[in-house]
Amino acid sequence: MIQEEQAFVEIIRKNEGIIYKITRLYARDEEMQKDLFQEIVYQLWKGYPAFRGEAKVSTWMYRIALNTALFQLKISKKGGNKVSMDGLILEQDHYDPVFDERLQVLYASIRKLGDVDKGIVFLFLEGKKYEDIAGITGLSLTNVSTRMARIREKLKRTIINS
Amino acid sequence: MELEEMQIVWSQMSAQLEHQKKLTNKLIMEMIQQRFKAKIGIISKYEGMGAIVCFSAAILLLFQMEKLDTWYLMAAGLFTLLYLIVVPILALLSVSAMRRINLTRNSYRDTVADYVKKQKHFLLTQRVAIYFNFILLLVSLPVVFKVFKNEDLFVSNIQLMYWYIPVMTVFLILFSRWGYGKYKSVTTSASRILEELEAPGA
Repeated sequence: MIQEEQAFVEIIRKNEGIIYKITRLYARDEEMQKDLFQEIVYQLWKGYPAFRGEAKVSTWMYRIALNTALFQLKISKKGGNKVSMDGLILEQDHYDPVFDERLQVLYASIRKLGDVDKGIVFLFLEGKKYEDIAGITGLSLTNVSTRMARIREKLKRTIINS
Repeated sequence: MELEEMQIVWSQMSAQLEHQKKLTNKLIMEMIQQRFKAKIGIISKYEGMGAIVCFSAAILLLFQMEKLDTWYLMAAGLFTLLYLIVVPILALLSVSAMRRINLTRNSYRDTVADYVKKQKHFLLTQRVAIYFNFILLLVSLPVVFKVFKNEDLFVSNIQLMYWYIPVMTVFLILFSRWGYGKYKSVTTSASRILEELEAPGA
């Protein structure tokens, strides 16, 4: 058990950035982000015994984290104490206001998309190929590529309108 | 912002996050323990409380059944008793099935599909319960009168039924519409995601 716990903790620590990025995409505020972060870690822990390493750790994490992000906001009740975390913010060694602004614009653009498209764009930005995105989301390859084309158009239209 | 530009900003952010390790072993395990504690016992506040009320009433009625001395009061009592036991159990079972959706095994699409299926089942249970509520409305008052006042309502005070039934029917319709609407809106939003997932060209 202790060995399993250690292995799990290592995986989370190594990939905490993935959870951070997903929570920032789906949560409306920092409180909700912390709640979602905690729920994702809990769901990963629940699913860990069934994870046999057939898929890549990151693929397994993306799948569970996206599922949780989608459902946490719908079905789970908030409850229990939140573990104190020192602000879920990106700390920059040298604060760059230009980068920070671009980051805000990036998140604002993605948040304008629907829940499903949000997840697809996230995986795309994470460098996943269409095949991987299809595998993680359960969508067909054609479905993913059609969606990506539409997302691209949608983002372009957003720029023109703004 | 276009996708290509997004990719650049995203990789820059990912690189910065790589250096930013905030979680400790203790913090991770604490998160799990807190969540675990929070989930124990939570089925649903409303269904849970409702079930306790129903079961308590059922126990109370069970010990008073011998007071129901005519066939129609006995039939009404049996229906009330069965309702108070079966309906909450059905509601609790479908709520707990919904909460048991496995987020760790299936893909995004399958999870939504599973959720919509269970929600629909839950809504069906709610609909059945609503219909039974109307029957309960009719049969429970004579039982309550007999058990608590030892009075056969059909013999002594039938006029009460004439205003009780319309007033309670209106109340029940409004309450059912409100409650059912709340549950339905959650299902509708999940169904919309499912439709979105299944029809990319739409």
